[in-house]
Amino acid sequence: MTLNRRAFVASSTVAAAAVGTAGWTIPAAAQAAPITIALAARSPTGLNPQQTALTGGDSWAIRQIFDTLVKPDDGTFAVRPEDFRPALAESWESSPDARTWTYRLRRGVTFHKGYGEMTSEDVVFTFSRHLDPGTVTNQKALYTNIARVEAPDSHTVRFLLKRPDPLFNGSVATTLAANILSKKAFEERGPQRFNMDPIGTGAYQVESVSPTEGVLLTAFADHWAGRAAHPTVRVAFIADTTARTLAFASGQIDMIEGVRAPGWIPTMRQRDARTIFDATAPGSFNSLHLNLTRPPLDNLKVRQAIRLAINNAQIAAAFTGMSEPMVGIIAPQFAGSVKADDLPAELRYAPDPARAKRLLAEAGFPNGVTIPCFTSQREDYAAIMLIIQEQLRAIGVNLDMKIIDHATMHAENRKDRNALTLYSSSYPPVPTQPFLQQLLASAEVKADSTGGENYSHYGVAIPGVDALLERAQDEPDFGKRTALIQDIERQVLRDLPLLGIVTLSYVIARNPRVDIGYPVKSGYAYWPLNRAKKA
Amino acid sequence: MLRTIAARLVDAVPTVLLVLTLVFVALRLLPGDPALVVLGEYATQDQLALFRRQMGLDLPLPQQYLDFLWRMATFDYGNSMITQTPVAKLIGENLPYTIELTLVATGIGVLFGVPMGILAAVNRNRLPDTGVRLFSLVGYAIPDFYLGALFLIAFALNLGWFPINGGGTGFWDRMHHVFLPALTLAMVKTAFIGRLTRTSLLEVLGKDYVRTARAKGARENRVIYRHALRNAMLPVTTGLGLSLLATLSGSVAIELVFNRPGIGEVLISAIAKRDYPVIQAGVVVFAFFVVVVNLTVDLAYALVDPRIRVKA
Repeated sequence: MTLNRRAFVASSTVAAAAVGTAGWTIPAAAQAAPITIALAARSPTGLNPQQTALTGGDSWAIRQIFDTLVKPDDGTFAVRPEDFRPALAESWESSPDARTWTYRLRRGVTFHKGYGEMTSEDVVFTFSRHLDPGTVTNQKALYTNIARVEAPDSHTVRFLLKRPDPLFNGSVATTLAANILSKKAFEERGPQRFNMDPIGTGAYQVESVSPTEGVLLTAFADHWAGRAAHPTVRVAFIADTTARTLAFASGQIDMIEGVRAPGWIPTMRQRDARTIFDATAPGSFNSLHLNLTRPPLDNLKVRQAIRLAINNAQIAAAFTGMSEPMVGIIAPQFAGSVKADDLPAELRYAPDPARAKRLLAEAGFPNGVTIPCFTSQREDYAAIMLIIQEQLRAIGVNLDMKIIDHATMHAENRKDRNALTLYSSSYPPVPTQPFLQQLLASAEVKADSTGGENYSHYGVAIPGVDALLERAQDEPDFGKRTALIQDIERQVLRDLPLLGIVTLSYVIARNPRVDIGYPVKSGYAYWPLNRAKKA
Repeated sequence: MLRTIAARLVDAVPTVLLVLTLVFVALRLLPGDPALVVLGEYATQDQLALFRRQMGLDLPLPQQYLDFLWRMATFDYGNSMITQTPVAKLIGENLPYTIELTLVATGIGVLFGVPMGILAAVNRNRLPDTGVRLFSLVGYAIPDFYLGALFLIAFALNLGWFPINGGGTGFWDRMHHVFLPALTLAMVKTAFIGRLTRTSLLEVLGKDYVRTARAKGARENRVIYRHALRNAMLPVTTGLGLSLLATLSGSVAIELVFNRPGIGEVLISAIAKRDYPVIQAGVVVFAFFVVVVNLTVDLAYALVDPRIRVKA
């Protein structure tokens, strides 16, 4: 083979052009000025609500594509049994022992793209996947109380529970992975195709999914609640904060996910005072585990000193407009939470550095103490822990803190390597959930990573709240269960294995040209856009 | 020529093997459990165990390593642990954007860098030379992610000339999208090529054959462009190859700043989520490019200078 200079130049130019243009065949989506929302993620992970590792962008799209059996009022969290509204189910009832829940399905609800009417078979299919131990599904732990799901007829579904659950609609029926799938479409398409081209009953159906352009949704004309107000919605994925903010500032994007960092909202307001901020409350619960197996945190007086030194209100104030101080472990908006004014004086813990110093001295640390710990580099974790570090420094507690990669932090926490673990999580409005996950003895963290998320070892290192939790879980009456949860809150405030710090809202900045049709007060970090209009 | 190419490819095998081994070992040393990342906080212990079993993460490391090598050798990149999408598809969808960015940036770099180098060399120690040297200094000194953000604010946000994010669809739209990020990457490349061309040309202009050409009365343009420049381009060609690789790796940050799709963006995302199959395949693609670019530079070197004959 011979190759001269001219031939080389010519052939390399052609090759470069061929390689460079290899992806230019992506068809232009038919976008009639869609309402565009950009979330802090890199590309769609999946649109099947049962797919694992979903990001915020996926959840937003899923919320538009699918429906759940019941729903809260738009822009709110349903926190009591009476707060739920009909959706795919027209009515429902619970047995007196709250262990059998029966739903009557709405007739004539159809799936997208000609997949027929939604029936009880689809509902049973959806939940059976969660109940199958051989199938990996999203949020699996939330569905472990379901013993069986059955369909007495084509439009009735019955859930039989292992233990009573007076708030089944909140703990199960309205969670993300409880959105109803089309059995026929799932079986025809297989999990992989269904993940990127799913079939639901929601107000919008999938038009296209692209790793570069995001998810384009078009209004589903036959939606049971009527056609969506705007014909198209695009869910875009822009991970970089600067790029996302600039896209919003330029008007190319209508709504963007906010940054949970101090000063973000004021900065955005400075840029454009007309920007609307939709913020859920409570958003994430941020709590601090004190490892009871590590000195000096095994000493109650040290824990009390730390509690008195941490000023939750000061931390919340730093996150202007998106944070509230917590009293106990449950966010103030949820049933089961306690208010400072209702607590006995010794459990109120109003910030008092002088008393904290005295307690520290009584515990044997008059010259202060150093506690090694680590946290995530994610902006909310890092910001909260850096403020706490400063507050504790004032009483002589020196946090020798490392800030590390987020995935690494979770893995290291799971190996019981942290003394002070900040934990951020968004919970369904179910009062038992935070305790089951973070304080139950059986959820104790283990050095070999096989344990749970009880990073304080509460209930093992010292007696915990297991017995009270058992009673609460066996209580079918919602009011009585809530009262028991408040007893647990008080017990935790006495023992201080876990400190509630602040809630952090999930915030969306919105261009005023988009009206979503209702105010956002609370709820999950995604909400319906079927009433949204764009001027 | 084919034997040359084959010999070079065989030479590359140990390099690729070493890269694969390093990637495998580094990923397993990296703290962070993919099962935890994928399944999140509402996973049961049974689910975590099932996931690890399904993904082969519970197998002994030597077995995982041999499986990995075999899959790479048979071009079976597997599926993403996160999306279950075939990794080859994921790479195939994103790679053209990275190549496009690298080529356009290199094109701009050559287009401006070589003439600037010539201008500086023929005007040595005069104003144009000072100007080019100053530009090179600035081009080297400004971090590309910072420059990218400045360009975004100036040309995309304030002037609205360019889109702020995305990769575009269709040829012209894609060129519209790629221009600003490519210009960002091209700044350092222009500075590099400009300096290299200047130095190389100055060296050649002092050679005997250039003096001879001038002595026999050749016009200055002919001396520079026909006699000196061709010889001066030898080190520039080598430098271009190396800078192509630097641009390829530099594209990672730029893809993030401009929110462009691309292989760098895929890799960063996969590392954050501990998506082993995607990271492994992404690094293999980068290693492949290193081998191909080095080979191309070797061949181009011979082609630019007919005196050089590559021996197998």
